[in-house]
Amino acid sequence: MSKKNVTLLVIVLAVAAVAMFKLYGRTPPQSMDSIAARAKGDPQARVQIIEFIDFQCPACGVGSKMLKEYMDKYPHDVRVQLKYFPLLNHHRHAMQSALYSECAGRQGRFWQFHEPLIEQQPQWSPLLSADPVFTQIAKEAGLDMSVLNACLSSQDAAQTINDDKTLGRSLGVESTPTYFINNKMVVGAQSLTDELNTYFPKS
Amino acid sequence: MLAALRIIVGLVLLVSGAEKLLSPYQNFLYALQAYQMLPHGMEEAVARFLPWVELFTGLFTVLGLWTAWALRAAMVLFAGFVVVVGQALLRALPIDQCGCFGELVHLPPRAVLVFDSILLLVCVFLLRHLPKAMQWSLDRYYSK
Repeated sequence: MSKKNVTLLVIVLAVAAVAMFKLYGRTPPQSMDSIAARAKGDPQARVQIIEFIDFQCPACGVGSKMLKEYMDKYPHDVRVQLKYFPLLNHHRHAMQSALYSECAGRQGRFWQFHEPLIEQQPQWSPLLSADPVFTQIAKEAGLDMSVLNACLSSQDAAQTINDDKTLGRSLGVESTPTYFINNKMVVGAQSLTDELNTYFPKS
Repeated sequence: MLAALRIIVGLVLLVSGAEKLLSPYQNFLYALQAYQMLPHGMEEAVARFLPWVELFTGLFTVLGLWTAWALRAAMVLFAGFVVVVGQALLRALPIDQCGCFGELVHLPPRAVLVFDSILLLVCVFLLRHLPKAMQWSLDRYYSK
């Protein structure tokens, strides 16, 4: 076989290997069932956003504030649903903040907890232990503290978070914030703005 | 010895390219955006195209096929990475992971700068000693 033919063969085999892996190599994504407690907005909204979030990631904070602005401006057009994707190797409070959020959601107060959690992220993020801040936010959000404490130590809440993370991985999520806007994957606040601008062009 | 170095350089690019290609391109696009270097309109094209360049450069370097060209391409890639990571460090951009190997390996930018600089020097060295670097290569087979 000539050198030219070997070169062509190598190129074709490499492209085929990548294509085959992309088609068949990944774990098939599980369905993204809606969790009512972590969803906000009109269920019939034309822009459905699923966000994989790590509450300690600064870019997630920026993205969350941006989404809130869009939701305030277009209340009938945007629906947001959050899924947990704590980056345990990067953020010390990733799991604990997700646990508090999940437990707040189980008391029907997910968003009441979420908004101050994101607002105060720069304050609690550098702390060695953020539990006192989370507890304070939980109290202000009106959570029943004994129910909250029982929930925090339950395996069930942690399992829900891990299930979300497994789902994210099966969809190719590697970092946060990752959004699925009407099923199109978008990573980071800049790409979020670009994508939302296609639905809501700036006048 | 030099052939082994050539294969190691190739493997670094091969693994880096493959990892990015096998995960959604949006993940690499996000990593690229953090370096704030490319014009906004070019980022997506680079995020889609660069992993293929890494993959083929790595593959050809490992196999020793068109070795001189593959090593030149690797040299250009590593020089580019040094510039991109270096400017991010100089501008103190808030990047804690380089994004070079996707989820496979996490390296802080300083470590990447050292790593890429070494690989760049290795490429220059291999090009200067090309006949020895071409041991165990398809080029050597075809030159017989």
